[in-house]
Amino acid sequence: MTALIWAIIAFVVALAVGVFLWRRLSTGKPVKTETPPEQKEFTFELAREMFAPEHDLPPGTPAMDLPHRYGQDRLVLMARDPYWLYAYWEISAARQEDFKEQYGPEAWHASRPVLRLYDVTGVPEFNGGNALSYVDIPVNEESDSWHIEVGEPDRAFCVDLGRVLPSGEFVTLLRSNVAHTPRATLSDRLDEEWMWIEGVYRTLTRLQTGVSSPLFIAEMRERLGVAPLGISSTALLERGNDR
Amino acid sequence: MAKGYLALVLHAHLPYVRHPEHGYSLEEKWLYEAITETYIPLIWMLESLLDDNVPFRLTLSLSPTLIAMLQDDFLQNRYLAHLDKMIDLGAREVHRTRGTPFHDTARMYNDRLHGARDTFARRYGKNLVRAFKGFLDSGRVEVITTAATHGYLPLLMIHREAVRAQVATGIQTYRRAFGRDPAGLWLPECSYTPGLDEILKEFGLRYFFLDSHGLLFASHRPRFGIFAPVYCPSGVAAFGRDLESSKQVWSAQEGYPGDHNYREYYRDIGFDLDYDYIKPYIHPDGIRVNTGFKYYRITGKGQHKEPYVPEWARATAEAHAGNFMFNREHQVHYLSRIMDRPPIIVAPYDAELFGHWWFEGPHWLETLMRRIAYDQHTLEPITPSEYLRRFPCNQLATPCASSWGDKGYHEVWLNQANDWIYRHLHWAAERMIELAREHPRAEGLRRRALNQAARELLLAQASDWAFIMATNTMVAYAARRTKNHLLNFKGLWHQLRENRLEPGWLAELEDRNNPFPDLEYTVYAQR
Repeated sequence: MTALIWAIIAFVVALAVGVFLWRRLSTGKPVKTETPPEQKEFTFELAREMFAPEHDLPPGTPAMDLPHRYGQDRLVLMARDPYWLYAYWEISAARQEDFKEQYGPEAWHASRPVLRLYDVTGVPEFNGGNALSYVDIPVNEESDSWHIEVGEPDRAFCVDLGRVLPSGEFVTLLRSNVAHTPRATLSDRLDEEWMWIEGVYRTLTRLQTGVSSPLFIAEMRERLGVAPLGISSTALLERGNDR
Repeated sequence: MAKGYLALVLHAHLPYVRHPEHGYSLEEKWLYEAITETYIPLIWMLESLLDDNVPFRLTLSLSPTLIAMLQDDFLQNRYLAHLDKMIDLGAREVHRTRGTPFHDTARMYNDRLHGARDTFARRYGKNLVRAFKGFLDSGRVEVITTAATHGYLPLLMIHREAVRAQVATGIQTYRRAFGRDPAGLWLPECSYTPGLDEILKEFGLRYFFLDSHGLLFASHRPRFGIFAPVYCPSGVAAFGRDLESSKQVWSAQEGYPGDHNYREYYRDIGFDLDYDYIKPYIHPDGIRVNTGFKYYRITGKGQHKEPYVPEWARATAEAHAGNFMFNREHQVHYLSRIMDRPPIIVAPYDAELFGHWWFEGPHWLETLMRRIAYDQHTLEPITPSEYLRRFPCNQLATPCASSWGDKGYHEVWLNQANDWIYRHLHWAAERMIELAREHPRAEGLRRRALNQAARELLLAQASDWAFIMATNTMVAYAARRTKNHLLNFKGLWHQLRENRLEPGWLAELEDRNNPFPDLEYTVYAQR
């Protein structure tokens, strides 16, 4: 019975969000006809903005829309830039059911949704307990995605979507993949390693024979070795660690 | 021996815009304009350089969707019809402008349109890919390609199989058009994330391009900054874009295209002329659109515009080519003093900037190539492949996730205007992988349905849709394309799972969304 109620609630929420999303997307700007667009500063993408006159479809065109839910548990984390992550999720009815079975029928209502953001930089296998640190980000009950400001380039993050019970206990519902924020500065690592892949080109000229298959890096290292030039070269082992 | 190298790279791409269901399509017009104003002028320029045996080098990326459109019968015929209409307008314009300061410009357009028709229809039999094949065979132009539909790969990397399919299908399209494998790959939007190079490696690709910071912020600081490539751990080379030469061409403020003698893009007779006169040449619903007939020069910042003078514009382009060369020579002189090998300056641009936006761009490029060949000894033009042959030993580092979009990372393709697409794109990719693994050797109708599902997924993944949503123009079209391809995918998925394929609907989809005829859905099954 409760499952049905929850399913109905989930459906209503999905519908509301869907309508909201649809309205947001379908609010096209009025069709401009006479005025050519303002001249803008050239940007990197400008050449592809070659679509000069704006001509959006009249509002309310197609009735077809994508489903808002696929009935699947998932939490996906993506790094947008050195400072921001983006997560989206979907919790299946079954997962909600499990939660209620474990914590009581009122537990969903009584708890609140939280994203727990873990710093897992350098952690080889994150298991929920071995993160360097974490922070909790309260999210709205109805939201299914979040832009997260982490402010930390060159780190690895993982998020759990969970619920905080009135007791303060955090219960994980979903766990994301690990996402890495890109660097925003020059690397401090000044050690150099050099690679020689002449072999790759040897395979391409008709004049040379005998070398056939493309060389993979491990093979190359063995056969040709790394040719260090200048300052220093680090052991290959070290690089193995940061991959 | 030259002190340094210059690698000019043009990337030509348009999303797959083919709408047989409409009598007139504004989106198809992007293609027609690009053919007339960019691709054909580039062909003329390259032919002229080859005819004169100028020892130039250029790297040219043609996107698989663009290749597919250039090879498509339906679009070829529609383009020709469009061109004929413009030729008709050209004749009327020559007549109308007689005795005005616009007459020379009208005659120039008229001549160019006739020339375009001759090049397109007579010389290349409506298939411009043949022209590019010739350039590739000349050995002076390194033609490469990009991911199948220009998918924004770092944001699809949640499923490596989806990225592999983008790359594999892109290479397949290239192979079909050019009869060989591309040497390197243009990463859509120069967007990279660590690990992407391993997929490129699987396909024997030897290099790709990054924005400057993608290389500079690599895991180990590159000794030569952006003036030498680095090898990724996979052994694929990453070349970094030179900021200085980019800005001179890209920026309207500091760059060449803003010069007052150049043609003003925003004054077009499609908007300026009397409605009754221009009506047959604009949107059939009477919506004014660009025609390509533009008679003014940029003149200055204000609204007041003076007539365009073709000779002045050409002279300016030539002066700018000289200036660009001079600056690169200086850069090389400086760099070669501090580097123990000749620097390479990598200057990549969107091809559509040349001709379409910057009308004089192709002339600038041609002049630049000629002057580099004959008027100096510091710079040598080069392709990335040639560079790697001469310098096979390079520093090893993992480049930084980046793109050449605004702010340098993924924000343009992942922000509040377009973030909603990823849950659907990822869902579909996951289903596609499942389908491919469930049906390792499908035949007949099922096989066709699986291939079409893959095609719809690829079309939905085009970075163009997210980009258009972010720029807030034509959002409805971009959203509709994303949704329609995903809904087509979802429909096929349901039918495949429930074993109730509808041959009629499948045939309709195959007919409408028809790029990549050799596509193999099994590429998604590969682990």
